[in-house]
Amino acid sequence: MEVLQASQVQVMGIDAGGTMTDTFFVREDGRFVVGKAQSNPADESLAIFNSSQDALAHWERDVDEVYPELVTCVYSGTAMLNRVVQRKGLDVGLICNRGFEQVHSMGRAIQSYLGYALEDRIHLNTHRYDEPLVPLSRTRGVTERTDVQGEIVIPLREAEVRQATRELVQAGAKAIVICLLQSHKNGTSEKRARDVCRDELAELDIDIPVFASVDYYPSRKESHRMNTTVLEAYAAEPSRQTLKKVSDRFRKHGAKFDLRVMATHGGTISWKAKELARTIVSGPIGGVIGSKLLGEALGYENVACSDIGGTSFDMALITKGNFAIVSDPDMARLVLSLPLVAMDSVGAGAGSFVRLDPYSGAIKLGPDSAGYRVGTCWPESGLDTVSVSDCHVVLGYLNPHNFLGGAIKLDVERARSHIKVQLADPLGLSVEDAAAGVIELLDQNLREYLRANISAKGYNAADFVCFSYGGAGPVHTYGYTEGAGFKDVVVPAWAAGFSAFGCACADFEYRYDKSVDIAVPQIAPDSQKAAACNTIQEAWQELAAKVVEEFVINGFKPEDVMLRPGYRMQYMGQLNDLEITSPIGSAASPDDWNRIVEAFENTYSRVYASSARSPELGFSVTGAIMRGLVATQKPVLPEDPEEGETPPAEARLGTRPFYRGKKWVDAVLWKMEALKPGNHITGPAIIESDATTFVVPDGFETRLDKHRLFHLAEVK
Amino acid sequence: MTTYTKEQVASLVDGKLDWDTTMRMLSMPKDNERFALYLEALQKKVQWKDKIVLPLGPHLYIAQSAKTKQWVTKCECGHELGDYRENWKLNAVVYVRDTEEAMNEVYPKLMAPDTNWQVYREYYCPSCGVMHDIEAPTPWYPVIHDFEPDIEAFYKDWIGLPVPERAA
Repeated sequence: MEVLQASQVQVMGIDAGGTMTDTFFVREDGRFVVGKAQSNPADESLAIFNSSQDALAHWERDVDEVYPELVTCVYSGTAMLNRVVQRKGLDVGLICNRGFEQVHSMGRAIQSYLGYALEDRIHLNTHRYDEPLVPLSRTRGVTERTDVQGEIVIPLREAEVRQATRELVQAGAKAIVICLLQSHKNGTSEKRARDVCRDELAELDIDIPVFASVDYYPSRKESHRMNTTVLEAYAAEPSRQTLKKVSDRFRKHGAKFDLRVMATHGGTISWKAKELARTIVSGPIGGVIGSKLLGEALGYENVACSDIGGTSFDMALITKGNFAIVSDPDMARLVLSLPLVAMDSVGAGAGSFVRLDPYSGAIKLGPDSAGYRVGTCWPESGLDTVSVSDCHVVLGYLNPHNFLGGAIKLDVERARSHIKVQLADPLGLSVEDAAAGVIELLDQNLREYLRANISAKGYNAADFVCFSYGGAGPVHTYGYTEGAGFKDVVVPAWAAGFSAFGCACADFEYRYDKSVDIAVPQIAPDSQKAAACNTIQEAWQELAAKVVEEFVINGFKPEDVMLRPGYRMQYMGQLNDLEITSPIGSAASPDDWNRIVEAFENTYSRVYASSARSPELGFSVTGAIMRGLVATQKPVLPEDPEEGETPPAEARLGTRPFYRGKKWVDAVLWKMEALKPGNHITGPAIIESDATTFVVPDGFETRLDKHRLFHLAEVK
Repeated sequence: MTTYTKEQVASLVDGKLDWDTTMRMLSMPKDNERFALYLEALQKKVQWKDKIVLPLGPHLYIAQSAKTKQWVTKCECGHELGDYRENWKLNAVVYVRDTEEAMNEVYPKLMAPDTNWQVYREYYCPSCGVMHDIEAPTPWYPVIHDFEPDIEAFYKDWIGLPVPERAA
């Protein structure tokens, strides 16, 4: 496609999904290619290799040539998540306080319905606890109690720890997790238990890892802390092996870079990192990071990120150039204490099944979906329930002969007959109108969801630019943005590989969090302010040491690390805290405290309203945060000279009948790769590439800019 | 709309259906033919020929007598407990726990109700001895008639099936 060896390939992003493994390569000059290959759960490194070959073939280059050139490579994948969901982790033993052995299984009473849609959540008979990560048979209680103030009320009975260790080894534990009450407040007993446990294991001559929660996630909320530490032992250690295999294969092909993994806090960390559990969710985060970088490059402060795949619609907001972080999210039906980029998800995607409610006759979308099986239009799918993709195929949105670059052939007639029997006939509609109704309903749902999520946070859509990506995003972009009033709607030409692109954009960044309890009234003596600063500073120092240690593991010098302290703060007595990037590098004096307060109040008035500020309540700092970064190579956006508004003749592929608004029209087909910057296309048109289809219906127009971004607008 | 196979509904009745399918059944609108499939699965579990009209409990049914077409309440074993409009409990064997000693057989000591205030009445099939129901009333309370289903309305208006024939 491009001239051979035009420039060096620098960055690689990997998105190893459940069905497809995407790779994304970026050259020094900003050009990129996307590769796809079938995922291979047994050996991920092989799927990545195949996907790389697929991508590099566009440049007529080879892995052995390119891997040594690469400066950086970021991995994101669903392997760890699947390991947790399928309960295929390590046999972990758990030591907790005596009398609290059942706490882990009880899942804070909410794990029985986490991840459910509202209508399932409110029906008790659907509630069900998943099998706990650690069974009771491998859980032992030891006598100890530290109270909520961090006072040791009952000292640790060390003999019981030794006994528990021996029993857990006997019961087959391959790792031991220790999580004692209030250890985030005072870790003395837990650390002692950890040392005693290690000592006992040494005496038994058994080499298994010991995880104390205080070393990993010293945050309040007992179930969250316990789950997260268990997760570290249960799923992260086995994943480390997977990543090592991936890294080894890279090395074999001459790679010199150090493999990094996308983490929930929006940075990337090394596969050698101590806290690997935070890489449990990474794919969707990549899109948000990519949007942030794109927003910065284009000068957009406020971005609504929307990612529509086969099974779900994920959205996130970037406001004033920042995304929000939640500190105790739930993932894989577990409550966890990990910092996670805030995202909202709804279970409706391009592959969602479509059914009729037999009582109301209403169309119901999802919550389950055809996933990689597309729909009944793919005869080999074995499906007989209509999916949204079937409607797309029938209405001419998708090219039945070029789905995934022609990898599978779709049968329009098969989809038609299923829609007729399952939807059109019972509703008394034509097949076209029934299918169009489904699309309209999905678009309406997504639009409403997007709108509600923006206005619920107190923002106005007119201040936002909407980025639309994901494999199925560009098919729906017009539908869920129509009439929403966004400032601009942007569809990157590489929408299908956008998450992988985003991963490649992420900083090499470690982040550690710790709970602190600081309460200072509005008008406080200087001594109290200084004491508060002391507490924060101590926590920062403790966290900074951990951050630096992680970088040292990867061969960086401590002085290369840029430290960015932060904190979580709230008005005393309020329920929600805000995460603030600290305006000061270290805290000591009363004046430092005033600046901490000032930064909080500014953020508060930005997020809510300045009139809502309530300094008279006093201030609480609930958590200390330390982020550390080192400089990395990031993709630069491609930049081509703009050409005329008229697309080149060779980009035009012909026309296809396309149904919308109760009539068939002939939509002009364009080849996405052949379009030139500056080209202007008015609907009805369909712009196709192997990995994605961009629909521009009647009443819309789009322009391709110099960065290969499509801007979609309604024609007034 | 989702449909299920006879095997799936039979597994549901036996409590052996996998959780994913069970969850889908619970969260989706009920499929039209479910009741018919359900009756079919139940019918296979009983030895007698009478047609099940409505299940009342895990081992208790209202059935249409093959001979007389009358509707009767029946135990799974075939023992008949009278006309479906009558209270079947009056034809069952009853065991009343009304002493502390009897209560202590089912509850730890001091964790059962005071039998001057509440008693348990357990109803068993006189033939096979299966337990059909327990009620927990005050000692003097009459035998409770749980409910009298409006089967005609249920069949006609709710599930859209023809009402089975019934002799008076």
